[in-house]
Amino acid sequence: MFWRKRKDSDFTAEISAHLELEIERLRAEGMSQAEAEAKARREFGNVRLAEERFHESNRWMLLEHLRRDLSYALRMLMRNPSFTLVAVISLALGIGVNALVFSVVNALVLRPLPVEHPGQLVFLENSRSNAGQSFPMYREIRDHNEVFSGTLGYRVTQVELESHSGAVRSWGYLATGNYFDVLGVKPMLGRFFHAEDDVSPGGSPYAVLSYGSWQARFAADRDIVGKTIRINRQPYTVIGVAPRSFHGTEVFYWPEVWVPMMMQAQIEPGNAWLEEPATFNTWVIGRLKPEIELKQATANLNTIAARLARQNPGANEGISFFLTRPGLIGDTIGAPTRAFSFGVLVLAGLVLLTACANLASLVTARAADRQREIAIRLSIGATRGRVVRQLLTEMLVLSVLGGVAGYGLASLLSGVLSTWRAPMDFPVQFDVSPDWRVFCFAALVSVVAGILFGLAPARQASRTDANAVLKGEVSGFQGRRLALRDVLVAVQVALCFVLVSACLLSLRGLQRSLTMHLGFEPNGVSMAAFDLGLAGYSEQRGRDFQRRALETLEQLPGVRSAAFSNSVPLSIDQSHSTIYPEDQPNLTASTAPVAIMYQVSPHFFETMKIHMLVGRDFDWHDDAQSSRKVVVNMAFARQILHSENPIGKRFGRGPKGAKQEIIGVVEDGKYMNPTEGETPVLFEPMTQRYNTMTTMLVSSSLPESQMTEKVRQAMAQLDPELPLFGTGPLRQVLAFAFLPLHAAVIALSAFGLLALVLALTGIHGLVAYGVARRVREIGIRVAIGATPWQVIRLVLARIFTLLGLGAMIGLALALAAGRLLETVIFGSVRDPLVFADVYATMIVLGLISSWAPTRRALRIEPTVALRHE
Amino acid sequence: MTTRDEKDHIAILQGTLDLLVLRTLLFGPQHGQGIARAIQLQSGDELLIDHGSLYPALQRLENQDWISAEWGMSENNRKARFYKLTKAGRKQLAHETSQWERLSAAIGRVLAGPKAEG
Repeated sequence: MFWRKRKDSDFTAEISAHLELEIERLRAEGMSQAEAEAKARREFGNVRLAEERFHESNRWMLLEHLRRDLSYALRMLMRNPSFTLVAVISLALGIGVNALVFSVVNALVLRPLPVEHPGQLVFLENSRSNAGQSFPMYREIRDHNEVFSGTLGYRVTQVELESHSGAVRSWGYLATGNYFDVLGVKPMLGRFFHAEDDVSPGGSPYAVLSYGSWQARFAADRDIVGKTIRINRQPYTVIGVAPRSFHGTEVFYWPEVWVPMMMQAQIEPGNAWLEEPATFNTWVIGRLKPEIELKQATANLNTIAARLARQNPGANEGISFFLTRPGLIGDTIGAPTRAFSFGVLVLAGLVLLTACANLASLVTARAADRQREIAIRLSIGATRGRVVRQLLTEMLVLSVLGGVAGYGLASLLSGVLSTWRAPMDFPVQFDVSPDWRVFCFAALVSVVAGILFGLAPARQASRTDANAVLKGEVSGFQGRRLALRDVLVAVQVALCFVLVSACLLSLRGLQRSLTMHLGFEPNGVSMAAFDLGLAGYSEQRGRDFQRRALETLEQLPGVRSAAFSNSVPLSIDQSHSTIYPEDQPNLTASTAPVAIMYQVSPHFFETMKIHMLVGRDFDWHDDAQSSRKVVVNMAFARQILHSENPIGKRFGRGPKGAKQEIIGVVEDGKYMNPTEGETPVLFEPMTQRYNTMTTMLVSSSLPESQMTEKVRQAMAQLDPELPLFGTGPLRQVLAFAFLPLHAAVIALSAFGLLALVLALTGIHGLVAYGVARRVREIGIRVAIGATPWQVIRLVLARIFTLLGLGAMIGLALALAAGRLLETVIFGSVRDPLVFADVYATMIVLGLISSWAPTRRALRIEPTVALRHE
Repeated sequence: MTTRDEKDHIAILQGTLDLLVLRTLLFGPQHGQGIARAIQLQSGDELLIDHGSLYPALQRLENQDWISAEWGMSENNRKARFYKLTKAGRKQLAHETSQWERLSAAIGRVLAGPKAEG
């Protein structure tokens, strides 16, 4: 009933009824019919006006105005296609960039896991090992906490998965039996395992396949449930297939298979840790009971932590728990990811602001051309509110068009991004496909942008002095118009300065990364990895195989040196150990230093070109029969042993570990990520500490692609069944380590370029407009003898003042937002060289964009110019 | 062209027309002409309603749901649109009446205050 409509005719009928009644009354008072009619009409006044006012008061009018404004706006935009095109394209780019960045943020941070009531899930971290908990600790928490309605434990793990097409090294989850029930996920086929399936160690050889794995590896076989597949060369029964939307509990990691936790010893052969109180390998997610606050939950968990510390001070002393958001291994990846994506989103917002400033100045210029039209509309009775509304409608139509195009652009690009797999041996993938959140975001951004760039010019246009304009005076505006345009250009230059700075700073980061001292030389080294444990090799057979593989590779033509290790620096697979030096007997679990450790063969340092500073490399005599040896890096020597020459010192791994003697010290390098500080590292001889994970490394003068192929062939001859992974140049691990940096460089370069293009058109518009308005003035100046140089100064003085001003504001902004920028650019913001470059860029930008209008100014012929207008 | 007798009437203050209309309808449903007539009579012929602004005012009140309207027959059997006070309209009348009383009392006090010198 709200939009009730009373017909105009009904109102007219009411008025004539009134007149009739009035005439009747006057007649009764004794007037003649003619007199009465005249008086009634006179008393009523202007019938038309009353009807008009009734019409205006009708609620439908709003809609009718809107419809009229819309059709008028569309006509105006179509009459000026070049303006419309420029506006829509720049908006589409601005909004598209934002929608794309937002859909990544959405995928990584905002979108909840596709499980039941995802808001109740919390990720458990502890003060010492962060994400990982020991399995006994998990059991204690699961059985004795009062705040979770369910507590699940899981672990990312590698498996060797056999399908019709042979064995592949793949990735999966070890998950406690209650995993799917606590999450509330329903299987697409078959069933999931439950708590009662996961009780006795080794007693639950069940597998749940991911949708992707079922499709790709098992040809979407609908009868797969109940069939036996081989994982790590042992039989497992497929009991179910997960739904397509469910990729486990990490948003970036897409596993292929889930296996019950009690199969841990089979899935990770030679490394059973379920009963180990000091192995912190289990990730834990709890579902909060309704009405339980985080604070309460943390308090309850910490009473359990205190009990655990009393029971087993060696392993659990000094541990306290805290809760974070699940999806990105808690805060381990979550915190930097959130900071990074927020930073990028803010920068994308700046791009949009630049586009808006650009459009606002375009629109102001256009409003100047339209002042005659506006003046006419005002003088025939349009209110200023109506004029503003009309202009705003035009802007909104533009921004909605831009928004639609931008959203389309973003959907297209995010589709590409969703199918992209990170260049690494790890199933990293994101589902960034836009959903309703992205749509709402894009819609909101479009409308805000439309109002933002439309309101100021519209208000200004409505201040038009109709009299002055219609009398043919040059400007009907009151003075401020140029000021607004100037402000807009300065704002644009400032934003452009910030974006170009961010872009160049990130490029500097990239440049540094290329020459960065990594502590090893990846160029010329090829690698191939395999896991002998997954392939079912016993330790003795495994040792023999490693040695045989090394000898085979050393024989290959072109090989300078070869070695093997369990892992390489900057790959995702890094192991840590607590260190107990012999001369520091009072260390406890919470105070013992931690170091990264590798198991390596002889010649590892030579192959990786890691410089030995003191002492010697391992040789094949450092075997099980000899005493335990170890090589450390300089950071280890300095930070843990407080000595630059620790040769002969001894320490143990873990409180009870056998003491090993340091025989060499190597240079420091980067191990976890390229931005870390000095990190203590130890290297143990593989001959003394066997590890089934094996990475063969070959240094050669041949191109890496050729060498990789030869390595692959040689390995296939040794064991055709053995799945290799990570084959390729060693440089590929850098691709992983530098992934965030590369993402930043790509994003920021795109932003910087967009901002430059927008600023270019913006400045060009301003200068061209200025020249067009001053044709007469310039003509007069030339006529009375101004030199070309003076004309150039006349044209450029203002724009370069604005450029200087904008750049100064931009510099201040960039420095002020330094912390935000630094989360994105991988380096310090305070880089004078970069800012000098940006200044130079701005000057070049100013020159290029004012080139054409300046030439036009120089060509002005006084005789022609004075006849102008 | 205004005639002399119209000039003698007091012009209705902006915004008070609504109040007068609502008050008139307190005595029962009435059509537009009746409302105008009633106001004129009750004011002792001091107030003359501009019929041209009466109808938009009625429409405004109707849109605000203070009055409702339907077509009916007048006492002398002519078709007319009758207006009736709604519940919300009664509330509004009470509110506006008290506002008006405060305003006129205040103005009265100011006018009755100490005379300016000279």
